[in-house]
Amino acid sequence: MGIQGEAKLVAIVDDDDLIRSALQGMLKSVGLRSQAFASAEEFLASGQQQLTACLIADIRMPGMSGLELQARLNAEHCRIPTIFITAHGDTRMRMQALRAGAVDFMAKPFDDGVLIESVRAALEN
Amino acid sequence: MKGRSKLERYGLAMICCGVALAVAWPIDAPSSCFLLAVTVSGLFGGLGPSLLAVAFSSLAFEYFFLRRTFSIATEPATYLRFAVFLAAALLITGLMETKRRVEESRSRTEEALRQSHADLERISRLTTMGELTASLAHEVNQPIAAAVTDGNTCLRWLARDQPDVEEARQAASRVVQDATRASDIINRIRSLFQKGTPQRELVDVNEVIREMVVLLRSEATRYSMSLRTQLEADIPRVMGDRVQLQQVLMNLMINSIDAMRHVDGTRELDVKSQRGENEELVVSVSDTGLGLPLQQADQIFNAFFTTKPHGTGMGLRISRSIVESHGGRLWVTDNPPRGASFHLTLPTKIEAHD
Repeated sequence: MGIQGEAKLVAIVDDDDLIRSALQGMLKSVGLRSQAFASAEEFLASGQQQLTACLIADIRMPGMSGLELQARLNAEHCRIPTIFITAHGDTRMRMQALRAGAVDFMAKPFDDGVLIESVRAALEN
Repeated sequence: MKGRSKLERYGLAMICCGVALAVAWPIDAPSSCFLLAVTVSGLFGGLGPSLLAVAFSSLAFEYFFLRRTFSIATEPATYLRFAVFLAAALLITGLMETKRRVEESRSRTEEALRQSHADLERISRLTTMGELTASLAHEVNQPIAAAVTDGNTCLRWLARDQPDVEEARQAASRVVQDATRASDIINRIRSLFQKGTPQRELVDVNEVIREMVVLLRSEATRYSMSLRTQLEADIPRVMGDRVQLQQVLMNLMINSIDAMRHVDGTRELDVKSQRGENEELVVSVSDTGLGLPLQQADQIFNAFFTTKPHGTGMGLRISRSIVESHGGRLWVTDNPPRGASFHLTLPTKIEAHD
């Protein structure tokens, strides 16, 4: 069983530059391609949605939030498996995200291993 | 009397008496002249010299003007004269002592007041920092979380059968970058907790604004507010106390955040800096919050005015007094269609300020 990681694109949406570069570095070290965006708006404007096989997103951002992004993608029938990583998470938010179709919801600081497994699982489907 | 040596003071007294003697002779008004000598000796010399003048005046009066010898006379007039000179001396020195005590008391009061102001400013800073704890903790946690990820990435590259040293190196240098960011934030927070007398140095206000933006970024994001800056490049520096200026900017920005917290619609906090007239710097902090109370805009600067349930009401008052102590002004205007704009000016000419 081999995952063709190179062909699938992981999108990262987070307003923090250090988190973006850390996640891209992490994904590269397990052989996954990724592209980073500083905001949900930037991601939507990029037109990369169709090519994205998995989305890792922060929830609280200055402009559109991660949950709003999820809603927008759902409305456009763009079913991208989404993993939320957030520092401000609470149970209610978690339930909301999962109910709206999120694959996973984890708090920062996150366990790298768990996140990678989650991404791989999302890419397999 | 301050700083004059004993020799100076007693010498002065003797000179006064000498002059009085010389002047009294031709005008034949010994009483007045010696009384004046005693008074001046007391005024400028103190108790000792004035008593010396009293003694000299009494004896000189006897010897030079009544042609007696130095025997102690027993006439009532002699004693009366002596008593008058003595009373003058004591009265003058008594008054001078009272004056000195009042001055000393006033300068002690001023010192205590200054200390109170400094304490109040510090308490206000600490209270504000306390309210921001959650945001500040988050702000520091982000780079630390990134460092953990980058560190693990580095290990993963090295754990391969064929370790990729170049990738590992890049990951390791990211770790350094992350930790530096965390340390930087902590240093900024630490400087706000410092206790100390106001320092005067050349401060780059744009840098102060950027520092406060970094610290408040999480807070703004938490409430879905955008935080933007428009800072004029190469703005002249201001002679002032860095910590106090940080406090003012933080206070204004937090007020804006609070004003926008429960508002529907756009939540924008804009900080702008530019050169003004008269070699002044103008900084504006604008929000799209609840706006100012009708027709009472200036009241918000009064002590104890607050719209928050647990507000101290001191923030704007302290901010205004800090800006004024730097030679500037702080005022507020409406920010149509909704919100408020705080403006402050600071002089950039290097002048001596109190």
